[in-house]
Amino acid sequence: MEQSGEHLIPVERATVWRSLNDPVVLARCISGCQSMEQLADDRFAATVKARVGPVRATFEVALTLTDIHPPESYVLQVEVKGKAAGFGKGLAEVALAEAEDGTTLLRYSVAGRVGGKLAQIGARLIDSAARKMADDFFSALHEALDPAADRQQSANPS
Amino acid sequence: MSTETGIGAAVKRREDLRFITGRGNYTDDLNVPGQTCGVFLRSPYARAKIGAIDATDALQVEGALAVFTGRDTATDGLGDLPCGWLVKSKDGSDMAAAPHPPLAVSQVNYVGEPYGLVVAESLAAAREAAELVAADFEELTPVVATAEAAEASPIHEGLKDNLAYDWELGDEAATDSALATAAHVTRLDLTNNRLIPNAMEPRAALATFDPASGNYELRTTSQNPHLERLVLSAFVRIAPEHKLRVVAPDVGGGFGSKIFVYAEETVVTWAAAKVGRPIKWTAERSEAFLADAHGRDHVTHAELGLDGAGRFTALKARTTANLGAYLSTFGSAVPTYLYGTLLAGQYKTPNIHVQTHGVYTNTAPVDAYRGAGRPEATFVVERIVEAAARETGRDPVELRRLNMIEPDDFPYETPVALVYDTGNYQASLDKALHLADYAGFKQRRAASETRGKRRGIGFSCYIEACGLAPSQLAIQLGAGVGLYESGEVRVNPTGSVTVFTGSHSHGQGHETTFAQVVSDKLGVPFDDVEVVHGDTGRVEFGLGTYGSRSLAVGGSALISASEKIIAKGTRIAAHMMQTEPTNVAFEEGAFISGNQRLTLQEVAFASYVPADYPPDLEPGLSEKAFYDPENFTYPAGAHIAEVEVDEATGVVQLVNFVAVDDFGHIINPMIVDGQVHGGLAQGAGQALLEHGIYDANGQLTTGSYMDYCMPRADDVPDFVVDTTVTPCTHNPLGVKGCGEAGAIGSPAAIINAVTDALGTEDIAMPATPEQVWRKLSGL
Amino acid sequence: MNLTLTVNGAEHSLDVPANTLLVELLRTRLRLTGTHVGCDTSQCGACTVHLDGCAVKACTVLAAQAQGRSVTTIEGIGRPNGTRNGSPDDLHPMQAAFRDCHALQCGFCTPGMILRAMELVESGGTLDNRTVREGLEGNICRCAGYHNIVKAVLAAGDAMQEQSR
Ligand code: FES
Ligand code: FES
Repeated sequence: MEQSGEHLIPVERATVWRSLNDPVVLARCISGCQSMEQLADDRFAATVKARVGPVRATFEVALTLTDIHPPESYVLQVEVKGKAAGFGKGLAEVALAEAEDGTTLLRYSVAGRVGGKLAQIGARLIDSAARKMADDFFSALHEALDPAADRQQSANPS
Repeated sequence: MSTETGIGAAVKRREDLRFITGRGNYTDDLNVPGQTCGVFLRSPYARAKIGAIDATDALQVEGALAVFTGRDTATDGLGDLPCGWLVKSKDGSDMAAAPHPPLAVSQVNYVGEPYGLVVAESLAAAREAAELVAADFEELTPVVATAEAAEASPIHEGLKDNLAYDWELGDEAATDSALATAAHVTRLDLTNNRLIPNAMEPRAALATFDPASGNYELRTTSQNPHLERLVLSAFVRIAPEHKLRVVAPDVGGGFGSKIFVYAEETVVTWAAAKVGRPIKWTAERSEAFLADAHGRDHVTHAELGLDGAGRFTALKARTTANLGAYLSTFGSAVPTYLYGTLLAGQYKTPNIHVQTHGVYTNTAPVDAYRGAGRPEATFVVERIVEAAARETGRDPVELRRLNMIEPDDFPYETPVALVYDTGNYQASLDKALHLADYAGFKQRRAASETRGKRRGIGFSCYIEACGLAPSQLAIQLGAGVGLYESGEVRVNPTGSVTVFTGSHSHGQGHETTFAQVVSDKLGVPFDDVEVVHGDTGRVEFGLGTYGSRSLAVGGSALISASEKIIAKGTRIAAHMMQTEPTNVAFEEGAFISGNQRLTLQEVAFASYVPADYPPDLEPGLSEKAFYDPENFTYPAGAHIAEVEVDEATGVVQLVNFVAVDDFGHIINPMIVDGQVHGGLAQGAGQALLEHGIYDANGQLTTGSYMDYCMPRADDVPDFVVDTTVTPCTHNPLGVKGCGEAGAIGSPAAIINAVTDALGTEDIAMPATPEQVWRKLSGL
Repeated sequence: MNLTLTVNGAEHSLDVPANTLLVELLRTRLRLTGTHVGCDTSQCGACTVHLDGCAVKACTVLAAQAQGRSVTTIEGIGRPNGTRNGSPDDLHPMQAAFRDCHALQCGFCTPGMILRAMELVESGGTLDNRTVREGLEGNICRCAGYHNIVKAVLAAGDAMQEQSR
């Protein structure tokens, strides 16, 4: 599984960088995240409830940051364990670039693979599930950071 | 004997009543007091070292009773699961067999390999507990692709490479020189796709242990319960045979996949004694996909030489067969003795050489699946013959006819170790051509074209070898068991008959067919004959049902036993009629001498109530027989497929299928037709739909009915099936076996039709719309 | 939760966990083992039963959804008194046709096939080779190659129409 994308976030780079290292923000942005714990500067552990097609499970997620270049980029090593549901492993490269008017352009690319039941039953669905998780993550991040988002949302209660 | 129920009659099956009313007894339908539930822990990795396994949390779950791992079974001295056929490499060395513990101990070698068993009061509790077992794995690089496995680094510690054996058959030098001087050589690279058997009833086991007697009882989905018991006793060493009863109750299809002795029933039986309670395990379909033995998975390069007149001069095949991670029960024999020996097909090819590399990969073990080796051989022969006809501008039918073994060539000895006893290949081909209206094909093709469809026709003249035999030869070639069958015919005091057979029925209808055979032979009413099978506690011994052997071998044993009944009955009757046995004839259920007549019933009664009885005879009228066939039987036939390919979508529709088979004499034509239909649908599945795919990491990506495409009702047409008859020359019934023919002949016929429609030889199975569409689009 | 439902004409009131599937209820609680489980992705049809006369896959229906409703399984489709004596005379025409046409081999898919096929006939659409094949698309049989199943459904269709006339 491979995918990439970019998002324009309307706050300055340093803020985005801080959020991407903040377990509280991360927990808020990962849908289904039930807990997020910072084990060290560069290590997080989370439990996430997720569903890929017919496979539904609580996954233990270990996140390790490497190649850290504040406030520009890091590489995120992701290890997902779902016991009977299988496992996932991936690398996400995240890069932040300053964009116009104090906004930030976030680029990411993910390469990963799954195993066990996730691959057996969910293989066809894993790409779309991963894309959805990424989209949800960034729109949540966007919301969490954008002072305008709150107002927008209350104006558009959908 | 009444022709309505005797040999040759389309008797309605007696087993049907329980199935159509929901009163079958499949393993999962059975329940015993105190029963617990088992769930297996399965590797999510294709290849990994097993680290610590922590069951602390799992055992906290309410209702959880025990968690066992490979270390427990190893400590208890449980033996490995054996491979029953020792194949030797061409240099004379034994195959390299990797140890196959029932539960993985230090390393897992395919996704789905069991490494532990969780036992709990309920299925829900067992599943919950299984979720909580924490196992550490250290992932290793897997070897997956068939073609590359031999060169890759060995997956098993202690083996020097992934080559289990390098086997050959035939004269290589003669074949090579014939190819070198051939007027034309056709070359073809072929893949025989991996299939997942998918009997509709998933495997299951229900094991009990009685501490008072020390007796084990295992009810399981098996095609051969006696073999199961033998292996669990002699190799896995769970309990001696007299302490272990194995029952295969109603079994919902097997197609080979339930021949083998698997880890699950082994471990569950062992664990029943550990837990002190009965344990039931039933596979989910997802587990069946991962852990049932798969079928086929060959990669072959073949060359066929022809002389100027179109006569075949030589056939050479180089095959790599994926055996999976371990050698399954008969896995080693399938791509060798059941494959290479069939490469002569129906033809007089004088020189044949085959070489098979059996390779280990980090995938589920591969073993016999309906046809086992013979579909692979037929695919090679019939694809390359069709391609040769096209390359040399000959009609594929005429090229076949030119090369076919003639009816008076029999017995015919092939260059690959078989002696065909009888056959008439021209007759089945002629009949098939007529039924398929070959003459009208051109018109049908033109009509299809006007609808934007390309029509193709394909042929397959297959041969198969059934009822592996004789035992002595098979054992010389490495078989670990004999290949006879046993039967017992017991005439009860009041004249009804109970028949015990070592064959097993899981859809084939033995309860009906075998009763027909015995009722016909003994002249007792069909309804008075009961057939007992599938229970080591009731049937003395048996080698089970596979390789279309039941009737040819098991049925013949019943004939022998019946003959002994008649012989003994004759002596009793002679005594009663005060004459010599030589003066007594047995006709239609009665012993006759002059105008005296005694029915079998009367004689049976006299044998159990021996008032007036020959002094030198034992009372009773029950006889056993072991029948060891002297040769294989050789069913053969002609299959013709017609397909329509939609140019816009690449969808291949199988529009006509004609199968004319020679099964020798037929006991029940209704059942035989049904066997052919089922085989044809499986063959159509292989050709057009089914494919077991592992990704590069060894993950099975076709692990459910969402991705593994099973043939459904609207994927296949009505089949036209018919038969021709040349009776088998060496068994008393003249029968040959019909269970696998459909799956053996059809894939080649269908792919020959698809390649005909598309005008290219380069189509792999399954011919999916995507593949065909790419070909049509020149991509 | 407490559940009241009718199964094969008999009313049952039972206490079951809320997440119980209908197929589990039938097989393990009521010991009606004629309804089979052939897959875990609702694609084989082995578990087909009738819920208020409609064919449903009992592995995708919660027992709770059958609250107050009527379930018919393979055990309940014979003539009055069912087939307790195993007499062929008691069979539903669809059961009889499956036997007469040799539309079953191992019998594992058969109960689901029969119940789906009954609905197909009862729904009153055109019955021909093609519509029957399409109608049975949700039920997998690995043994019989469908040929005789289609024959049986068409034969039973005639018999059932005859009967209702
Ligand atoms: S068990 Fe319900 S559809 Fe397969
Ligand atoms: S009869 Fe065996 S699956 Fe249909």
